[in-house]
Amino acid sequence: MLQIRPIISMLMRSKSGPILLLVQIILSVAIVANASFIITERVSLMSRESGIAESEVFDLDIYNFDDGMDPVSQTKRDIEIIRNLEGVKAATVSSMTPLSGGGWASNFSYGTSKEDRVDAANAPLYYGDEQMIATLGLKLIEGRNFYPDEVLTGGSELASLLIVSKAYAQETFGDESPIGKVMYRGEIGNQPMKIIGVVERLQGAWVDNNNLERGMIINVELAAAFNRILVRADEEAIVGLKEAIPAALHKENPNRVVRGFTTISEHRNIVYRDHELMATVLSMMVVLLLLITSLGLAGMVMFNIERRTKQIGTRRALGAKKRDIVSFFLVENYLICITGGVIGGLIAVQLGQQLMALYSLPKLELFYPIATVAGLLVLTTFAVIFPAQKAAKISPATATRSV
Amino acid sequence: MLSMKNISKVFKTDLVETHALRDFNLAVNEGEFVAVTGPSGSGKTTFLNIAGLLEGFNHGDYFLDGVNISNLSDNKSAAIRNEKIGFIFQGFNLISDLNLAENVEVPLRYRGFNAKERKVRVERALEQVGLAARMKHLPTQLSGGQQQRVAIARALAGEPRFLLADEPTGNLDSLMARQVMELLEDINKAGTTIIMVTHDADLARRAQRNIQIVDGQVCDFSMYQAGENRGKTQSIADAASVA
Amino acid sequence: MFFYYLDLAWRSIKKTPFLSLLMVLAISIGIGITITTLNVYKMASINPAGERSSQLFALRLMSQDNDTWERLTPQITYQDAYNLRKSTIPVRQTAMFRTGLAVQTEDPNFSPILEGVRVIDSDFFGLFEVPFVYGGPWDKQVDSEGGYKVVISEEINQKAFGGVNSVGKSILLNRKPYQVVGVTAQWNPSPKYYDVNNGAFNDSEQIFVPFSLAPIEEYESWGNNNSWRHEDIRTYSDKLASEMHWNQYWVELDTPAKQQEYQEWLSRYVEQQQRLGRFKHPEAHGDISDVDKWLKEHNVVPEDNKVLVGLSVLFLVVCLVNMLGLLLAKFLKRAPEVGVRRAIGASRLQIFSQHIVEVGVIGFCGGALGLLWAWGALYVLSSKFDLEQSLAQLDQSMWLIAPMIAVSAAIIAGLYPAWRICSTNPSIYLKSQ
Repeated sequence: MLQIRPIISMLMRSKSGPILLLVQIILSVAIVANASFIITERVSLMSRESGIAESEVFDLDIYNFDDGMDPVSQTKRDIEIIRNLEGVKAATVSSMTPLSGGGWASNFSYGTSKEDRVDAANAPLYYGDEQMIATLGLKLIEGRNFYPDEVLTGGSELASLLIVSKAYAQETFGDESPIGKVMYRGEIGNQPMKIIGVVERLQGAWVDNNNLERGMIINVELAAAFNRILVRADEEAIVGLKEAIPAALHKENPNRVVRGFTTISEHRNIVYRDHELMATVLSMMVVLLLLITSLGLAGMVMFNIERRTKQIGTRRALGAKKRDIVSFFLVENYLICITGGVIGGLIAVQLGQQLMALYSLPKLELFYPIATVAGLLVLTTFAVIFPAQKAAKISPATATRSV
Repeated sequence: MLSMKNISKVFKTDLVETHALRDFNLAVNEGEFVAVTGPSGSGKTTFLNIAGLLEGFNHGDYFLDGVNISNLSDNKSAAIRNEKIGFIFQGFNLISDLNLAENVEVPLRYRGFNAKERKVRVERALEQVGLAARMKHLPTQLSGGQQQRVAIARALAGEPRFLLADEPTGNLDSLMARQVMELLEDINKAGTTIIMVTHDADLARRAQRNIQIVDGQVCDFSMYQAGENRGKTQSIADAASVA
Repeated sequence: MFFYYLDLAWRSIKKTPFLSLLMVLAISIGIGITITTLNVYKMASINPAGERSSQLFALRLMSQDNDTWERLTPQITYQDAYNLRKSTIPVRQTAMFRTGLAVQTEDPNFSPILEGVRVIDSDFFGLFEVPFVYGGPWDKQVDSEGGYKVVISEEINQKAFGGVNSVGKSILLNRKPYQVVGVTAQWNPSPKYYDVNNGAFNDSEQIFVPFSLAPIEEYESWGNNNSWRHEDIRTYSDKLASEMHWNQYWVELDTPAKQQEYQEWLSRYVEQQQRLGRFKHPEAHGDISDVDKWLKEHNVVPEDNKVLVGLSVLFLVVCLVNMLGLLLAKFLKRAPEVGVRRAIGASRLQIFSQHIVEVGVIGFCGGALGLLWAWGALYVLSSKFDLEQSLAQLDQSMWLIAPMIAVSAAIIAGLYPAWRICSTNPSIYLKSQ
């Protein structure tokens, strides 16, 4: 019933039309497959969990420019003021804001001597106090939190205890428990720090860095002229705190600038902006491309039908059913689509490899070209079926009329 | 005026060779009205296409108005068609998007006349066929006979020396056919050479000279003489009846 | 004849409105996307130094030890910056870094603001051609001897002094009075090539203070501080004496001879430092890169942009192939009319031109519409994603580029259909059946 052979021979004879469709489908498959691959890759990047109660946490900066200020006592006073404000659930001084794109990171080593020193992977560092876990909303899964008297206020050289993320622990020590291990900065023996706890998940500040999941907390409340503070509060309370915190701090000492008040959710939007932009533009491209391809296809089919009106009439006169006419056009379309899809898929993989080599994109998975071809088959069915049904309505009498 | 010597034209496909014209010889003098008849597939249309420079040929010589046509460039042959030849078709072949004036204007555009010159010529040509009042109408608003008259006006607008008509009355009823035929005869009397391909023996008889093409050759020279005489008497009779 | 073809093109477009719309739409979307990505790419890859690009050089030093960093970094140590300033070869030169200071005026009602501040030498202004509204740079003497002088932007001048000529007045930075010596006009090169540390497309600093004040005022560095070895840095003087990379350095060398001379001077400097026990990397050297090279090396144009431009060009090709098919169908349907025109005396060239003009008209409409899409897309994207202003605005050149690409692309797509239609034998279409 589906006369594939005559269709093929007809396609071979009227070369230019089908070849153009073929080229279009090849290119579409190549583009759509790569674009949707990049899209899913970006979306999966964006959907990684940070382990943080993002919408309830915001950061702020306090810049004290008073000459006579003592950073240690000022910092202690400031954090007290903030914690006592209504609506604040927890607050801590922090060396950085999660997902903000800027902050501290470092390498540690462990071992017993210079000879058996092992360098651990780079990790983002949160210097903060015993409220860090509560502020960020982290889940402690092993060991313990800092006791308040273990937290020292001052410079980073005071560090002695670590709470690490599970990802860091596993990467560094495998299945062995990290609790009790001692890490050093640079040379073995240099500024030892003992791991006392593990949190399930803690992302750092740089979402495109492979250190992202390796966050760790260090038992120092940094005190300097410029301090960053993380605050956790109910979402509804945040607006009010934007006013209340600067007011309370300025009341205590007017010689400072208080600014920031960006929630981690907002930081997430900013830090993933480029990825989201890329995903959005590419999605736009995919949708428009499919639209154009199917519109073009519909246009071509319509013209084909007009050109073949008489032929269709003859077929009808010779006993072809309406269904036969529609299936004729559909089969023709599928032949072009599948041929185009196979070639397009091969080109897509090739293009993917070029992109990978040029722009460090990951390798294209075969799923994407295949899915694209499948999608095109469905879409082009619609593009073909309407004009084809119109064609099927052509009266057999058309064949006998000469003009 | 027109002279074809040993013209042959072969159509080749993968399987067969068809000789549309072979050793075709014909001479037409200035001012003649020649009717070409012949069965379907005899080569009438091929002859007309070659005469009108729409198709090339494989062998032989063709002179039109003293110009050797054998190896003309596309530009030159287009210019000759434009200046020296007028075409009239069975299907009128007016351009449906253009109104009458614009249709008649087409050859003048390609000749490069300025707007004023074009306007004068279009009006004159349409007046000649009696359709000046309908200048702004579209072809579809006219009857077949009127459309053919517009086509004739279009052919005349460039003042060609030579008119090629392919079954000009084929799509018309007999009354309209007669009107068109009379128009052609008037044009011929004004000095334009006409070659007309037709199925219709009655129409052919009205021409000064009849030739018949069979199997790609001008076959019957005896008819040439007879036809010439008959044509003359016929046209005199016609002229009398019109008067 | 051209106007006749235009007229015919317009009639033809009107006659098949759906098909023409489809073609205009196809090409406009292709153009829209291409122009959008091209615009972002172009704005990102613009060389803001213009003609001076080949005379301005960023300086880098490979001062690290072996087995640490393998490459040059965009910054140098303070001690090297301090030493380099002694060379007399460059026409102009400046060491610099970014800091932040609290700004106050003598007006107690003025609430303090925290501003990004650039710590520089006086040559900075000449080197980067910073325009002034009032006053000018501080004296060269200040660069060596120090002095509480400041250059502020028009914007700060507006905030702090209500826009009047404030030269000679004083402004408080971290509660210290600085004398205003100059007010700069709007100046915001994009990309911000002189310091790619803090994001290449953020705004320029609004306040400039002398580099010579750094050891005295202990300005914090608001940028990357990179160390290739662990150093115990507790005080500001520890930092100044350390191997930490945190300063940027630019020189202006106007002739190839000068560039050669300076390169040699740099090599001697590296050798001298090696004798002092620094620069232990086997490939230790000094490098100067002009602005063009500098922007390329720092990948100021994100790779995503390049991928997008590539994909959108492919997209445009799809649109063109699409259009090619539709044009072919449309033109071939018109073959009988063309046959008549040919018979009447139109040459192939005339028929070809007629169709190319028609395609050109479609392309032009597509280009105009595409420009509109691009403008809309940039608007939507910039409002949704808060793009930097400089990236989101439609570059003026696009008004020319878009129709040009559109028309030429359309004509390329139209070449084959137009050739097909003008080369078919007219006689077969003249018989009426």
